[in-house]
Amino acid sequence: MTITLERHKKPPFWSARNLSYQAYRLKNRPEIIIGVLSLGFLGFVVLVPLFQIIREALTFQRYDLAYQRDGVIGSLTLLHLDRVFNQPISQALFYKPLMNSLKIGFAVTLIAVIVGSSLAWLMVRTNIYFKGTFGAMLVFPYMMPSWVGALAWLTLFKNDRIGGSGGMLTYITGVEVPDWVAYGFLPITFTLAMHYYAYAYLLISGALATVDSELEEAGATCGMGKWKRIRMITIPLLLPALGSAVVLTFIRILGTFGTPALLGLPVRFFTFSTQIYASINARNQGDAYVLALVLIFLAITFIWINSRIIGVRKSYVTMTGKGFRKRESDLGLWRWPLTLLIIVFLLITVLLPMVLLLWESMTLIPGNYSFSNLTTYFWAGKGNVALAYGEPGVIYNKGILDALGNSIKLGFAAALFNGALGLLVGYAVVRGRGARLARWLEGIAFAPYIFPSIALGAIYIGMFSTNIGPIPALYGTFSILVLITVIKNLPFTSRTGIAAMLQIHQSLEETARVQGIGWFRRMFRIIVPLSMSGLVAGMLLTFITAMRELSLIILLISPGNMVLTGVIFGYQEQDMAQHSAAVTLMLVVIIITISVIVRLMSRRVGVGRLSAV
Amino acid sequence: MNITRKTFMRMVGGTATAALLAATASFTSAQEISPELDAWLQENALGQYTAAEENWDEIVARATEEGEVVVYSSSGRIAKLVDHFQALYPGITLTLFDLGSVKTIEKTVREQDAGIFAVDVVTTGNSGQVIYELLGNNRIFNYVPGQFIDRIPEENRDPLLIRVNEAIVFFYNTDANPEGPPISNVWELTEERFRGRVGIKDPMGSGSSLMGLAVLVQQPEEMAAAYQRLTGEELVLGEGVPDAGYEFVRRLLANDVVIFKSGSKLADAAGAAGQDDALIAMTNMTYISRNDDKGNVNAFITDLDPVARMVYPTYMAIGANAPNPNAAKVFIAYLLGNPDLNLDTELTKPYTEGESFDMLQGLAPYHDPGSVSPRSDVPLPAGGEVWDEMKGWNVSAEFMWEQGPALRDFWLIHSSQ
Repeated sequence: MTITLERHKKPPFWSARNLSYQAYRLKNRPEIIIGVLSLGFLGFVVLVPLFQIIREALTFQRYDLAYQRDGVIGSLTLLHLDRVFNQPISQALFYKPLMNSLKIGFAVTLIAVIVGSSLAWLMVRTNIYFKGTFGAMLVFPYMMPSWVGALAWLTLFKNDRIGGSGGMLTYITGVEVPDWVAYGFLPITFTLAMHYYAYAYLLISGALATVDSELEEAGATCGMGKWKRIRMITIPLLLPALGSAVVLTFIRILGTFGTPALLGLPVRFFTFSTQIYASINARNQGDAYVLALVLIFLAITFIWINSRIIGVRKSYVTMTGKGFRKRESDLGLWRWPLTLLIIVFLLITVLLPMVLLLWESMTLIPGNYSFSNLTTYFWAGKGNVALAYGEPGVIYNKGILDALGNSIKLGFAAALFNGALGLLVGYAVVRGRGARLARWLEGIAFAPYIFPSIALGAIYIGMFSTNIGPIPALYGTFSILVLITVIKNLPFTSRTGIAAMLQIHQSLEETARVQGIGWFRRMFRIIVPLSMSGLVAGMLLTFITAMRELSLIILLISPGNMVLTGVIFGYQEQDMAQHSAAVTLMLVVIIITISVIVRLMSRRVGVGRLSAV
Repeated sequence: MNITRKTFMRMVGGTATAALLAATASFTSAQEISPELDAWLQENALGQYTAAEENWDEIVARATEEGEVVVYSSSGRIAKLVDHFQALYPGITLTLFDLGSVKTIEKTVREQDAGIFAVDVVTTGNSGQVIYELLGNNRIFNYVPGQFIDRIPEENRDPLLIRVNEAIVFFYNTDANPEGPPISNVWELTEERFRGRVGIKDPMGSGSSLMGLAVLVQQPEEMAAAYQRLTGEELVLGEGVPDAGYEFVRRLLANDVVIFKSGSKLADAAGAAGQDDALIAMTNMTYISRNDDKGNVNAFITDLDPVARMVYPTYMAIGANAPNPNAAKVFIAYLLGNPDLNLDTELTKPYTEGESFDMLQGLAPYHDPGSVSPRSDVPLPAGGEVWDEMKGWNVSAEFMWEQGPALRDFWLIHSSQ
């Protein structure tokens, strides 16, 4: 009697038996250890800023004295919630801009995902010509700052509303471009879609490359038609990548600022991000943070919907220990027309903006595009006080070259750390899928994506001004730039990490485990190689974004660590158009070169079945 | 108590939450002068300890010992000074952070809240916040080099020393208006004939543009009187509009004013040669120099009722607990120009070269039309002599601090559609 009771009674938590049992369980569940460690780290670097944002949104700030003369600084206030949601000003501050942003977000996401996945399919699954070259070049538009596209649009289509000389279209045809073509919703949507299709393209081509054609052939054997196969087999298999692409694109569009500001202002088309920017610019932190929190809330909702859809259907595993084949569809008669279409597409999205930048950088008087006005001074000049305040040309400019070195250093460091962290988070989330830990981790890893960059930077000053345990004060060092860049870009790599991991069947790891192979070896011999194609894509995205980032790091940077984007900012602020164009072009060319090298190298060492990244 | 797994997890969770809250709970409000800060002020003769006499040679000697001066600046042009300053004061390294006006203030405040005192000289615009948030909270301290006090009018050094005064003005296109300025009263810009033909640099994105607008709004009686002089009628305010200043903003927006992100692009758009229906531009006076650089045909509207020149200052001051206070003093004096500079000094372009640079010193990169030194004994830049002929008002820091947010809200509501 007593014996049965003993057996059914759970041993107390602290008993040696239970602890050793728990330890044994943990040893076989490395995803829990990794998950807890990652959660602890991310909790600190992500949740602390989040709490701070919430707290400052609800705290009476010095700025708010203008609204409430008798307010007490530092006390709890609902002033900003009220302003954003419940006052006459809310319409202008929140509701209308939000509607504009949502409209743009849906339109851009739709176009970007259609364009991106069509291109991915063409590159991975068909026999289109020049696949290698195209495959590389299709990511180039993303490597340019997104405002370059907006400027190109204005050069082509601007009309009399913003005065000066008309755009090229008016110049050539004499037709006055209507406002709705030149500014506002249409051009913002178009230029952003031509920039951000890269997410969908990269993620979906990465996933497509790992889908076994045999699965589709099995469908054909069962008598499925072509479209039914795509609908019933291919698309469901691509859902995780597709979902990530939609989430990343949509939320990035909600937060994007440069293009809406350039193309929206002339017709007073305000978006959510332009309002956040305006509030931050006024140092009205309350408004800015409440708006930012709405953005974070939207993003979380979106991720939740995404994980619901994907969470319900579980079988996306495409990498198993069994055979794998990739078959290319024959485009037949369409082979050349589609190739030409892609060439035209690349001419417009890649060549045109770069030519415009180059031309701008070689004009003696900015804005005068005649041949007699061309000069190489801004590239190879040695400094002439009559020109550009005596600033030497790019290749003799020590400031620019130093900044270039720092930018590359930052890009590489951030990409590397990010790849490692993304892989671990992906592993913990996928292997522990369904558990609370995994859901938290997934959510937290995504949060930095929508933090206003400048706010994150400002909060990091406070967090890392003194030493934390054994970690010395990071403020003022290069490490903090790397840290904040890693955190801000974590969503890319954690998404790609999760997507890649979802496709690897657990049986591969289990096989190794049965043979007594330890976790580290399993990781390096199985998981890392198999997820490499997705991971490299994520790291490349981090590298590109890190090279182009400024507002995130501007508050943390010291002159010795100046980066190229900081140099560009300086030139723009001083209206040195040619220098700014020259350095921008240099930045774009370097990003492109490095990513092409990475691509070639990863192909040489045979990273997975990498064919599109 | 029997510790089960559940309670254990709860304890862990609770500790984590407490740690998080503790980590975020380092909020500081108004800064009183601490004993340490007071000692620092006394040692460096700043704040209430400002001395009538100072020994300049000793300051320079101590500055050289300090060896560095760290500057947070809203303007990138200041970078032109690095080599010149270091040649003049060997041994003092000039470390420059080019941050723009918002981030200059943000970085200063955040660092000081975190107990970091790294900045020596803060130089930025945005009157309300500089005077009330920085100076008013003892985050920065005013310093006027002794040898310059008599040459700087009081309004340019009290409560805070101004590094440079600049202005927002109206440009018109001389090709489109060969007979001279198309308007003589600001209210004409709200008439139907200028519908969609006035450009403004976005006041929501640009501090200088907001201050320019504030100069008009802060004088409602004058604005109402100007309206009456133009039309002979009493101004009728729109619904919910508090006064004539705001009414001008409302009517300007209702008249489809075109908002530009960049002031220089606006100057170029208004000033491109050969136009017959050019925009009138409300932008920074200093962009007139683009007439030479870019072949624009802009001119100032010099005679305008009630005001033609809306002046906004850029200040400079020493950061609280600055690590190199004497070097900061030396650099501030350098930014004011050579003491030997006077109204008869011959200055030749380019100003950042040779003898002119040696006379202008820190003023050199800013010696452009539309920029004016706070000193009364510095000649106006060539091409900017008209400054004195144009009627000007200065932006009020008090107005910016107390009414700036309301003006922004007003602009936001009336520009939204």
